[in-house]
Amino acid sequence: MLDILLPQVANGLVLGFIYVLIAVGLSITFGMLGIVNFAHGAFFALGAYFSYELVRLFGWPAVVFAPILVAIVGMVVEVVLIRRLYGKEPLLSLVVTFALGLLIEAVIRYFWGTDGKSLSPPEFLSGFVEIGPVFMTLYRVAVLVATVGVLVALWAFLNFTPYGRIIRAGSRDPEMVDMLGINLPRVFTGVFGLGCAIAAIAGILAGPLWTVSPSMAANAIMPAFVIVAIGGLGSFAGALIAGLTVGVITAITIQFWPQASTAAMYVLMLVVLLLRPRGLLGAQWERFE
Amino acid sequence: MKFGLKTAITRRCLTLLAGVSALGLVATGALAQDAVTLGIVTPKQGPSASIGAHMAQGALLAVELHGGKVLDRPVETVWLDEASPQISQQNMQKLADEYKVAGVIGGNSSAATLAMMSVAEREKIPFISAGSAASEVTGANCNRYTFRAQAPAPVQVEVAFNELRGKKVYFFTPAYAFGQDVLRTSRSLLEKYDMTEVGNDEVPVNTADYSSYILKIRKAQPDVVFGALVGLDLSNFMKQWNEMGMKGSIPIYEVAVSDTDFWDIGMAVATGVHVKPWYYKDPQNPEGEQKFVAAYEQKYGVPPSDKAFFGWFSMNAMLDSIEEAGSTEPQKVVPALESWRYTEGKFPYYFRDFDHQLVRPAVIVKLKDTITDQWDYMDVVRWTSETQADTEEVFGSKEQSACTMPAL
Repeated sequence: MLDILLPQVANGLVLGFIYVLIAVGLSITFGMLGIVNFAHGAFFALGAYFSYELVRLFGWPAVVFAPILVAIVGMVVEVVLIRRLYGKEPLLSLVVTFALGLLIEAVIRYFWGTDGKSLSPPEFLSGFVEIGPVFMTLYRVAVLVATVGVLVALWAFLNFTPYGRIIRAGSRDPEMVDMLGINLPRVFTGVFGLGCAIAAIAGILAGPLWTVSPSMAANAIMPAFVIVAIGGLGSFAGALIAGLTVGVITAITIQFWPQASTAAMYVLMLVVLLLRPRGLLGAQWERFE
Repeated sequence: MKFGLKTAITRRCLTLLAGVSALGLVATGALAQDAVTLGIVTPKQGPSASIGAHMAQGALLAVELHGGKVLDRPVETVWLDEASPQISQQNMQKLADEYKVAGVIGGNSSAATLAMMSVAEREKIPFISAGSAASEVTGANCNRYTFRAQAPAPVQVEVAFNELRGKKVYFFTPAYAFGQDVLRTSRSLLEKYDMTEVGNDEVPVNTADYSSYILKIRKAQPDVVFGALVGLDLSNFMKQWNEMGMKGSIPIYEVAVSDTDFWDIGMAVATGVHVKPWYYKDPQNPEGEQKFVAAYEQKYGVPPSDKAFFGWFSMNAMLDSIEEAGSTEPQKVVPALESWRYTEGKFPYYFRDFDHQLVRPAVIVKLKDTITDQWDYMDVVRWTSETQADTEEVFGSKEQSACTMPAL
C-alpha cells in the first residue's frame, strides 16, 4: 500500500504547492486590500501567456520579466479600476473583478486565439528523480523548490522589511498609516501588483505542465478560492496548509476514486467551514468585520 | 399653447422622419424576412474552445462557398456558445425563439447534443450534430429532427480494437455520456478481441493535472492505454504523459480525436494511434474536399481540422437539403436530409433514414515518429472500411439500432 500512497502524496504536494502559490496571491489581495479578486485566475493565465511569448522570442531566461509585466498590468488595473472599490460593498468588488477576469480572458483570446499554446520545460530540467517508490520529474522538483523559494521570500519581505511593515500596517489601520505621511494609495497599488506578480509566477510554473490556454484561468481560480476559504481569508500560513492538503487529498482521491477527484476539495472545504467557519487559520480582522 | 411656424416645421419634419423611419423599418423587416437564418452552436470557451472555433469556421466557409445564398435568399448565421449542456440548450431555445432559425449545425459534445436535440424536436428545427459520438444520439434518444455526422462510439471502438487483439488494456475515459459509452462498449468487446482490462479511470472533464493518473497507469503496466479524452483534456494528458517519460513506452490509442488536440501541444509531445473522422492530408481525399482544404487555408491561414471538415460537411448537407426541399419548412427539409447523398467520395455517404446516422468511414492515423511540419502530424494508416457494403456493416443494421424514429 505504501508504494501506492507515497508517490501519490509526493505528487500531490507538488500540485499543492502550485495551488498555494495561486492562493497566496489571492490571499494577499484580500488580506491587505479587502478585495476578493475574481480576476486572479486571469492574471495567472496572463503570466503563462507572457512566459510563452518571452520563451518563444528570447528563451527561458527571459521569463523573469513575465511577473514584472503582469505586475505592471495589475498596477494599471488597480489605478484605473480597483481603487474605486476600496471600502465599498464586497459584492461590488466581486462583480467588478469577475467582469475584469472575463475581459482579460477575452483579451487573451483576441491576441492569442482559442487554440492552446505549447510551452515545454527547459531542456536541463527534462530528467526524472526516483527515490524508492517515489517518482517525480525534475521539472516538478524544480517547481517545488521555486515555489518554496517564492513563499519564503514573500514571508521575509512582509515580515522583515520596512515596506512589508507598511503594507501590514496599512491593511490593519489605513488612516493611521496615512496620517504618518505614507502615500497609502501607492502602497495599495504595489500590493495589488505583488498579488498579480505571484499569480503570474504560478502561471509560468504551470505553463510547461498544463497547456497554455484561455481556460487555464478557470482551472486555477476555483482551487485558489477553495484553498483561501479553507485556510482562512488573508492567512498566509492557512493558505499554505490548505493548499498542500488539497493537493494531497486530490492525488489520493484519484488513486482510489477518480470520478470524485474534483469534488474532493469541495467536500474538504465543506467540512472545514462547518467546523470552523473562519477557516483553519482565519483571524478576526476588525477592518472587515 | 401657441403653435408658430417653427413648431409647424418641426412637426412636419418629425412626421417626415417618422415616415422615413417606418419605411426603413418595413424595408429592414422585409430584408430580415428574406434572409434564411442558420444557427451554429459550438464551444467558444473551456477545454473544447479550439475545436468549436474550427467547427464554426468550417460551417461559415460552407456558407461562403455556397455563394452566401440558399433558395436565392441571403444566408445569415448566428454563432452561439456550447459552454455546457445547460447553456447549449438555452442557446438552442434562443435560436428558435429570437432568431427563428431554419436549421442548426454544431453539438460537439454528446452531453450538449443530447440537451440540444430535445429542443430541436420540440421546436421542429433540423439539427445536425457535427461532433457528438455517444450512441444515444442516434440510438435510444433519436428524434426526427436530429442528424449526426460523426460515427458513434461503438463503431469507433470496434475499429480500434481490431488493432489491439490480445492486449492488456488500461481504459482512460472522460466521465460523461461519450466516455461512459466508450467504456461500456470497450468492456463488452474485450472477450471478442481476447483483451484484458488491467485498470480504468473515468476522468472528470476539465482536469488540468493528470500526473496522479499517469502514476497509476505506470504502476499497472498495460500493453496499451485506450482512451477517449477530448480537446484540452487530451492535450494536457499527452503533455504530461511526455513530461513523465511515458511517450514511447506504452502506446496510446484514442477515439474521436481532433487535430487541434495535437496542434495545441506541439510536435515534440504528440503521440499515439487514433481513430478520427478525417485528415486534411489524407491522399484519398476526393477533389471536392481538397478544394475545401485549399479554401480553408486561404481564408484562415491554417489547415482545416477534422472538426472544421465536419462543420463544412454538415452545413453543406443543410444548405443542399434546403435547396432540395425548395423551402425552409422543417417538414420538407427533414425528408430532404434523409434522402441527401454526398457523392464526392469513393462511394455515397448518407444519413440513414431509420436513425439519422451518417454512414461514412473514418480514418486510423498514427502520429509520425518525427514531425517536421507545423500542421502535418499524422500518417493515415488506413480507412476504417473501404467499400459501401463494409461501411454499412460496421455501422450495424436497422434491427441492431435502438432508435425508434417518430413520425414528422
